[in-house]
Amino acid sequence: MNKPPPSICLYFQVHQPYRLRDLRCSEIGQPDLQYFDEEKNRAIFRKVAEKCYLPANALMQELVETYPDFHVAYSLSGIFLEQCEAYGPDVLESFQRLAATGKVEFLAETYYHSLSSLKSLKEFVQQVTAHVARIEELFGQQPHVFRNTELIYSNELAHVARLMGFQGVLAEGADHLLKNQTPNDPFVPPAFTLPTTVRNAVRQHRPYAKAARNIAVLLKNYRLSDDVAFRFSDKSWIGYPLHADRFTDWLVNSGGHSVNLFMDYETFGEHQWADTGIFEFLRALPAIWQKRGIRAVTPSQAIRTARGWERQVYDAHAHISWADTERDLSAWQENHIQRAALDALFALEELVRKVNDPELTRRWRLLQTSDHFYYMCTKYWSDGDVHKYFSPYESPYEAYRRFSHALCDLHHRLTIHP
Amino acid sequence: MSIHSLMFGWEYPPLHLGGLGVACHGLVQGLLKNGVRVTLVLPHSHDSSGEEYDVLSPTEKHLESVRVRSMLSPYITHDQYLRKITAVSKEMQQVYGSDLPQAVAYFTEASVELTKDVNADVVHCHDWMTYGAGMRAAAYHHRPLVTHIHATELDRTHFHPNQWIYDMERHGFEAADCIIAVSNYTKGILTQHYGIAADKIRVVHNGSDDEIINQARYSLDANLRRNDCPMVLFLGRMTVQKGPLHFLEMAAKVHGMRPDVQFVMAGEGGMLDEAINRACDLGLKDCTVFTGKVNSREAKKLYQQADCFVMPSLSEPFGLVALEAIANGTPVVVSKQSGVSEVVAHGFTVDFWDTDKMADCVLTILRENPLALQLKSEAPKGLRHMRWEHQARNVRSIYSDLITS
Repeated sequence: MNKPPPSICLYFQVHQPYRLRDLRCSEIGQPDLQYFDEEKNRAIFRKVAEKCYLPANALMQELVETYPDFHVAYSLSGIFLEQCEAYGPDVLESFQRLAATGKVEFLAETYYHSLSSLKSLKEFVQQVTAHVARIEELFGQQPHVFRNTELIYSNELAHVARLMGFQGVLAEGADHLLKNQTPNDPFVPPAFTLPTTVRNAVRQHRPYAKAARNIAVLLKNYRLSDDVAFRFSDKSWIGYPLHADRFTDWLVNSGGHSVNLFMDYETFGEHQWADTGIFEFLRALPAIWQKRGIRAVTPSQAIRTARGWERQVYDAHAHISWADTERDLSAWQENHIQRAALDALFALEELVRKVNDPELTRRWRLLQTSDHFYYMCTKYWSDGDVHKYFSPYESPYEAYRRFSHALCDLHHRLTIHP
Repeated sequence: MSIHSLMFGWEYPPLHLGGLGVACHGLVQGLLKNGVRVTLVLPHSHDSSGEEYDVLSPTEKHLESVRVRSMLSPYITHDQYLRKITAVSKEMQQVYGSDLPQAVAYFTEASVELTKDVNADVVHCHDWMTYGAGMRAAAYHHRPLVTHIHATELDRTHFHPNQWIYDMERHGFEAADCIIAVSNYTKGILTQHYGIAADKIRVVHNGSDDEIINQARYSLDANLRRNDCPMVLFLGRMTVQKGPLHFLEMAAKVHGMRPDVQFVMAGEGGMLDEAINRACDLGLKDCTVFTGKVNSREAKKLYQQADCFVMPSLSEPFGLVALEAIANGTPVVVSKQSGVSEVVAHGFTVDFWDTDKMADCVLTILRENPLALQLKSEAPKGLRHMRWEHQARNVRSIYSDLITS
């Protein structure tokens, strides 16, 4: 007897950072100093809106309305939503139209797309709470599945998410943790109790009144995700050109409960340009899936339908993430300047809370966005790899120069605050 | 396959005076390590007293050096040559040539004559003064010609060339079977300003072997660094190409924010007086030191004392000084108009005219310890891939391609 095909769980990350201005030492402490490059941020937002967000959302709208078994999930960072309001109400409206279909799930993350989970539990939980509130406000639904910045994940983080009230959390299906298991099966974190101080801190600031009893872990199938996100237009790749029916064969053959395809939304039209055929590829998938009885489900649906399955333990003592081949924190916390920058930022936390000035607190939080640290990465810089591709600055040291000036300025303002 | 190169090059300089001699020395050593036999022709103005400067391991069996009497030195101008030649006897003037064109013609004649019996596989020459000799020798022996370009007349004069020198250069490029440029930056100048086809030019970045810096032994000067004051260093000839005035403009901006910073400008040249006057005009009299010419040992000491090295060159084909600074653990800020900026991954690059940003990079390095530490520790690691032995391997493969084609 043939096994039923796995379902497909599609989640797209939607995020844009605020890029820093070419700040100078001589500006530190000046009134009304702007940290961020308004013009550049607007230009990039509009460019990506035209190439990706608007056409991709229009296509998704059509697909979810046409195919009853086709669902998708998004995680929209809080600062992406702010940029929508400032630079692209049309983009926000198109996401709201998707939400209105009832077939789209919105996930929770840190409002500032931050690295706060690594440094301050209180700050982390507060940012998740702020994000949950914003999603509810804009899309009229409460997120029940959490995904941390860049899929940064650990056992402890899974339990913190559970204590916050989430029923599911997303993570990278890292080879060294899976040890030949398929990422398509349902997983749970190892059971353990967090220290009282941690539990209390979460309880004090969490978005929901109650902790969840259990939390499921959905693991990204990185091979099949990256076939689309990274390799789709790579002519030297053996799978090129990738067609929807062949890709569907691969999905079905990979078996298990659900194939979790997690990727940046910018894959559609921005990382893979429209002329690669990426939109036609996306458009063709649901029709083939419907014909072959494959459902595309949201993370919450994937968790619900897995209830009858045996759950494997996913044991992540050390942090993992979806970045680079290392799948660890090294994209943001590898070299000296990256670590110094994040340490110096969180060294200000106490002062920020004491001063309690909304504008300064906001500046502090905007500097927590993971991208600032990603741009300082020197791992493969000279090879011209993805860090270079994604960086708006000409070098990791330029990223640090701008960031350190902003931090100096913030420190100055906090110190002189009456 | 054993390859024999007939090379018209330059001596390792006894004083720190630009990179041509240093680069030739490094390349020859690197070629020898790659099993290439080299006959090296050098202009030489001393009869026998010069032997002590010879650091080209004369016992090396694959190296033969031929010394040609000449008062040519790299980067010498018409006027400088005239001043030099009028200081020697009338009799010797006739040997060396009474002006620069004549000196080049004599050198060409003599060096081709002295190497008539050399049976080399390839002829390789370095910068315009040796191109005549290279072309003649290649034609005489019917061998492929490699012209190596370390600095063009356009770099030296900030695009106001002496037409005669420019023509000599272009003639050399056109006659070459292959041109080796020290950077993509220089390759760009050749394609845009000399009309040379890009596919004829191969880029081989200069190498960096720290032992070269260590070899010279000279007496040590006093410590130029004041107690706890940060020090920012310029090291190079005081000529328009090296941007000494841009350095001072940057210094004035740094001084405005950080009056405790000291500036050291090492090197001599035609613009020294102008630079001193400018420093005074900018109010930098008390925080700027002009050291004059420095030898290799002193240069090393300066690099090590400096908190930041700035190379604001207007047009720098390579910029070996930046690699020397890096090798000595000094954070660098280098001009984007340079070849070395193509290979420095751990440092700042700025446009030479943007002295605001240059100053800001310096101030950031001085303020941010983690940054300075990372630049100190990471930048030298990059030099491991830039040893001459490795770079010379690329030159050897260029030779092979030419010989077999």
